[in-house]
Amino acid sequence: MGSATGRAPVGQNGLGWYVYGVVDAGEAQRELAPPTSVEPAHRVTLVREGTLAAVASKVPLEVFTEEGLRETLSDPAWLEPRIRAHEQVLEAALAVTSVVPFRFCTLFRSDDALRAFLGERRNELREALRSVEGKIEIGVKGFLSGDRFAESFAERDEAARGLRERAASAQGGRAYLERRRLEQLLAREVERFKADAAHDIHNRLLASANHGVLNPTQSREVSGREDEMFMNAAYLVDRGQAFEPEVEALASEYQERGVTLERTGPWPPYNFVPRALVEA
Amino acid sequence: MSSRELETFRSGQPAQLADVLERVLDKGIVIAGDIQINVLDIELLTVKLRLLIASADKAREMGIDWWQGDPFLSRRDGNALEDRLRRLEQAAGLPTSEER
Repeated sequence: MGSATGRAPVGQNGLGWYVYGVVDAGEAQRELAPPTSVEPAHRVTLVREGTLAAVASKVPLEVFTEEGLRETLSDPAWLEPRIRAHEQVLEAALAVTSVVPFRFCTLFRSDDALRAFLGERRNELREALRSVEGKIEIGVKGFLSGDRFAESFAERDEAARGLRERAASAQGGRAYLERRRLEQLLAREVERFKADAAHDIHNRLLASANHGVLNPTQSREVSGREDEMFMNAAYLVDRGQAFEPEVEALASEYQERGVTLERTGPWPPYNFVPRALVEA
Repeated sequence: MSSRELETFRSGQPAQLADVLERVLDKGIVIAGDIQINVLDIELLTVKLRLLIASADKAREMGIDWWQGDPFLSRRDGNALEDRLRRLEQAAGLPTSEER
């Protein structure tokens, strides 16, 4: 597993380029003016090569090396502001133009290395840019309240209603048994409902979007919510497209069964650029 | 329309860290080339990050979920990656891939 040690000369003053993403050089004539950067001593700038421009800022390479990062990445106090800075810089770019986001810690040793990259991969980068031109990413997360679902299910489902009534009127071991049956029935129904609801909501939102993806759901600890997340989707939508009404309509429709939808964004289109650049 | 049905975030307030993390660390183009960290290492660091960002018990759930749900990482070739992941997991006191 080779680090890039010795492959190319380190940039002047031990500084290299941290690249947040790529924009069209012509479209980004206005200054991006992001409020921050991953190393606040060095402001974000555009590094132009042909029709493309990298949104980038200088970083000390002694920190941003594989070895250096192994140390710092384990420190949340170091990491969180930089991860947020990465996002904020791309948001500032997104406010002005279309942007192809790069992953955290994309680094180039020198000016030459960055410009060479932009030149050599211009076709792939232009294609990635074209695919997200005039588009933004919107996140939609679905949460289910188990209690509210159980309530609405017992109202609608005859078997569940019967079990509930018998559990309420029975005594001792008999009541316990009926309650267990009701719980098992509910557990099965919740699983089925979550899968069906995610499928239905996703398909209907896709109709108003260019693309959409379902990502792994977040656990309660991560989402910070009591209700269980059953859907974690992202959609690529045209800027200014009325996507929100679609989400609202679905939220209203599903509300009585215990569903809450949460919309996030606009995000840079992280989910809708290729994972890696392929040769064009 | 009550805010109970549809909750909209990010109107001026910072996004939830988890939402930022899953995008900034997990999505976006990965560049290979004349850079400080090669692609494989970025992936490894990403895995490590996932485990570290969450505190110990959160990491268990979060790390496993994300790892298993990530086709890119799961289908990466080479046992070196898996070996290193296993070492990372052991170092972090997490169950290794084999134990799952």
